[in-house]
Amino acid sequence: MAVGNGLRSKYDVIVIGGGHNGLVNAAYLARAGKKVLVLERRHVLGGAAVTEEIFPGFKFSVCSYVVSLLRPEIIRDLDLPRHGLEILPLDGTFTPMPSGDYLWRVNDHGRTHREIARHSKLDAEAYDEFGKAMQAMCRFVKPILSMVPPDPTTLNPRELMKLLFLGRRFQGMTSEDKYNQVQLMTMSAVDFLDQWFETDVLKATMSASGIIGTFLGVRSPGTAYVLLHHYMGEIDGAFRSWGFARGGTGAISNSIGDAAKEAGAEIRTKAPIAKIIVKDGRAKGVVLQTGDEIYADVISSSVDPRLTFIKLMEPGNLPDEFVEEVNRYKFRGSSGKVNMALDALPDFKCMPGPGAHLRGAISISPSVEYMERAYDDAKYGNFSRRPYIDMVIPSLTDPSVAPPGKHVLSCFVQYAPYKLKPGLNWDEQREAFGNNVIDTISEYAPNLKNIIIGKQVLTPLDLEREFGLSEGNIFQGELSLEQLFFLRPVPGWAQYRTPIKNLYMCGSATHPGGGIMGANGRLAALEILKDVKGAA
Amino acid sequence: MPERREVVIIGGGHNGLVTAFYLAKAGFKPLVLERRQQTGGAAITEEFSPGFRCSTLAHTAGPIRPDIIRDMDLERHGLKLITPEVAAVALTPDGRALTLYNDAQRSAAEIAKFSQKDANRYAEFQQSLEKVGKVIGDALRLLPPDIDNPSGGDLWGMLQTGRAIRKLGKKDMYRLLRWGPMAVADLVAEFFETELLRATIAARGIFGTFLGPWSAGSSMVLLIRAAADSHPAGSAFYAGGGMGALTQAMTSAAKQAGADIRTGAEVKEVRIKNGVANGIVLSSGDEIEARIVISNADPKRTFLKLVDPTHLTPDFVQKVKNYRAPGTVAKLNLALSALPEFTALKGSNGAMKGRIHIGPEIDYLERAFDESKYGKFSRQPYLEITIPSLSDPSLAPPGKHVMSVYMQYAPFKLKEGDWNSQRSALGDTVANTLAQYAPSLPGLVVDGQIITPKDLEETYGLTGGHIFHGELALDQFFTMRPLLDWARYRTPITNLYLCGSGTHPGDGLTGGSGANAAREIVKDLKRSG
Repeated sequence: MAVGNGLRSKYDVIVIGGGHNGLVNAAYLARAGKKVLVLERRHVLGGAAVTEEIFPGFKFSVCSYVVSLLRPEIIRDLDLPRHGLEILPLDGTFTPMPSGDYLWRVNDHGRTHREIARHSKLDAEAYDEFGKAMQAMCRFVKPILSMVPPDPTTLNPRELMKLLFLGRRFQGMTSEDKYNQVQLMTMSAVDFLDQWFETDVLKATMSASGIIGTFLGVRSPGTAYVLLHHYMGEIDGAFRSWGFARGGTGAISNSIGDAAKEAGAEIRTKAPIAKIIVKDGRAKGVVLQTGDEIYADVISSSVDPRLTFIKLMEPGNLPDEFVEEVNRYKFRGSSGKVNMALDALPDFKCMPGPGAHLRGAISISPSVEYMERAYDDAKYGNFSRRPYIDMVIPSLTDPSVAPPGKHVLSCFVQYAPYKLKPGLNWDEQREAFGNNVIDTISEYAPNLKNIIIGKQVLTPLDLEREFGLSEGNIFQGELSLEQLFFLRPVPGWAQYRTPIKNLYMCGSATHPGGGIMGANGRLAALEILKDVKGAA
Repeated sequence: MPERREVVIIGGGHNGLVTAFYLAKAGFKPLVLERRQQTGGAAITEEFSPGFRCSTLAHTAGPIRPDIIRDMDLERHGLKLITPEVAAVALTPDGRALTLYNDAQRSAAEIAKFSQKDANRYAEFQQSLEKVGKVIGDALRLLPPDIDNPSGGDLWGMLQTGRAIRKLGKKDMYRLLRWGPMAVADLVAEFFETELLRATIAARGIFGTFLGPWSAGSSMVLLIRAAADSHPAGSAFYAGGGMGALTQAMTSAAKQAGADIRTGAEVKEVRIKNGVANGIVLSSGDEIEARIVISNADPKRTFLKLVDPTHLTPDFVQKVKNYRAPGTVAKLNLALSALPEFTALKGSNGAMKGRIHIGPEIDYLERAFDESKYGKFSRQPYLEITIPSLSDPSLAPPGKHVMSVYMQYAPFKLKEGDWNSQRSALGDTVANTLAQYAPSLPGLVVDGQIITPKDLEETYGLTGGHIFHGELALDQFFTMRPLLDWARYRTPITNLYLCGSGTHPGDGLTGGSGANAAREIVKDLKRSG
């Protein structure tokens, strides 16, 4: 029998959430012959990887705005280019400085070398060495992104083999690489970079990728790892560098969605879930907010642990200790997003007029102290008076996202702490937050204020409300050492399974964490298939 | 014809003395060369003002590893350990006090005055620290394994540690894994709701380091210290006569075991020929030939000052330069005309026998740290205070007292000005802070000694003014202390060894580094016959 809007009453798998991981998860399961249903709360697919036309003619990559980490095996397996995925290069990073100078790194090795040499000859040399060293590090870490974390506490041979595998790989490195690897796993981004470079603006801009999505400062130990996490895209991710999806980030989700549909998955938007049905320790299905009940042998949740285990589940189904761990899991959103529709291009004092420098990332990260002070504000519950901003103007590379002659400016802003200090709340601070971002950018590009046609300000609270990211964390939980690998999201539950039988996790809150990677969704699918086969 | 020796030890700090003792006991007569007029390094007692004596730097022990106290028979050599029943007392400006006793029940009872919930969890926290600390403690005794090609012994050690970790049970095993990299502010928040209690315990994760309570990795510092003493806030381990009495007992034990000790003998250079150390040169110009040379000095001083860099690879020198040792503490020793009255203690002098903690909130400690990041010393500093004359009246004239104050954060590198010009400003800051808790105190100060990070380097030879010979951080710990591949007390220079706090475990005033180093060096000496 069928329930509302033509859904069956029984599926093999129900995937909760139509973000990129949920869709990857669904695609792999459907390809394995499972009857899969994806339920998305919003009217549009993609979760945080979404394109929306906020102002007529202006298509915003509302949240996530660049791509680099999408796993090559997924692009191959799902044949995403055929489903409309096209990645356009994002060339270089431009950092304007208050002094009127700038740092402009591009993909052209020779030009970047000369540019850095302009600031420091030593650093120009070190930059090449650094690149080589990071490649070695990435070679070590990459396979880890595609592996199910071991459980270090059991003596199960399969788990021990995984640990042994890691041990061997570590042994296999030169002692120089070991030295770097150990430092990367433990140091702060700045301490790590201090060993290589002397140019402040270079260190500041590079260290920025070490704090994205964390509630840490560039001097906080552990940020060097996040630096690597993002650096990986810059090495040999699928596209050799960061890029845009033509049509905006949502195009990535849509291509994965098409692949899933082609494989037979059903996808429903505007289908918010009220509860996960659990009977005697087993997940049986879900109740939609409409009241409809849909049953399935497997429930795979791509939403974060707080939503999955606290919001969508009746209390009493889980061991207290597990609930305690879930409540302890740190989200702490620390960033916001400001998207603008522009009448013209911003004009930077330090490099007037249009030009290639506007086609890449534009980073407001003039000095290490600037970055650290931005963090200090957030520690005490304020948004940064002068935040770190990572800007892109995708309309220069992909005209399809804005009317002719007009442009889209996408600004990632950190820090914006989810928890403001007592007396402040985001609904009252939203306007001030947005204006502060515009003021900050205007110090470098004074014409900005005059060319804004429309702006969309997303605070961490908005990210939580609109996109279901608890506390507005863009990675479904901090990428801090104690929440990585076999500790993500909950120690002992890092293998996509949960204390509830037939209930799985497949979102960014699982290993290997956030960013548009899709690895989480894929690995979870493979684990689910193992169990189902095992059961069959 | 230069003097000939089998073993020369550079520096008579507590680790140097422990190493000397164990070498002497093993039959290798070491000569300890101390630059200053007295042995003890950073564990010394000096008369800083007529009639007033005080532990100049370290004012409590780590504590010293029990097996070392036993082996050296320190009691017989005059060591009188004093452990007041009050471990620490934390004060707030608005006159509240939290007293933590060595006894967990009594502490819980005090905590209950703030929060019953916290009182209940206190025991669980201490037990977990004990279990986890025990495992770490065993690891601290280990020789860090050789990462490149682990020996049979290494594998055995790792296996033992693995076993011990497994014995913890899943819950504490994961705690060990999860806590290490955490910010101590998060760790205490997982257990307690009382801000004062949180701050008092968190302080143990930042003392002497360039970390704030919100810095990731500060939990590990707490755990390392918990390995030596599982009291959540740390106990107060004094020695009768101050810390100097401890190192004097060590000196006498080492001498009796057969070590020679020479003070006022500054080593200028380690003599090296074809990559082999064969003696030292004193600043007097005299040379002493030796079969092996052991440096109790910190890694930076040893490799960047005492060794001619031409004997080291540029890569190694670079790594030593990158070894982080940014000092963050200053020390003030005050001569008081009478016992101060802290508003919060309402005359209960007993509580003052423990360590007095000034730093009422996590954010207070973090803000103190913030300023140091930008090259300023904290205007509202974190203070750890002891009044040793309460437990040992011999330190001050009758009725008078000495107060020993650790001030944090005082960054070695100031953005503006230098420490000589900032010295008195530092003193005023501390006095003003103290006055908020004990209004009468500034009036009682008859004399004082202000030791800035610069003094710590120049007078006491601590590079960068770092009291632990380098940051205790995840990347400078165990197999990485001081450097990956060089955590086994040996160095790239044959017959040159390290035995100071810049080596594993480097966990403060415990003697661990000296004892571990001696064990390895004796092996080598016996091997080469």
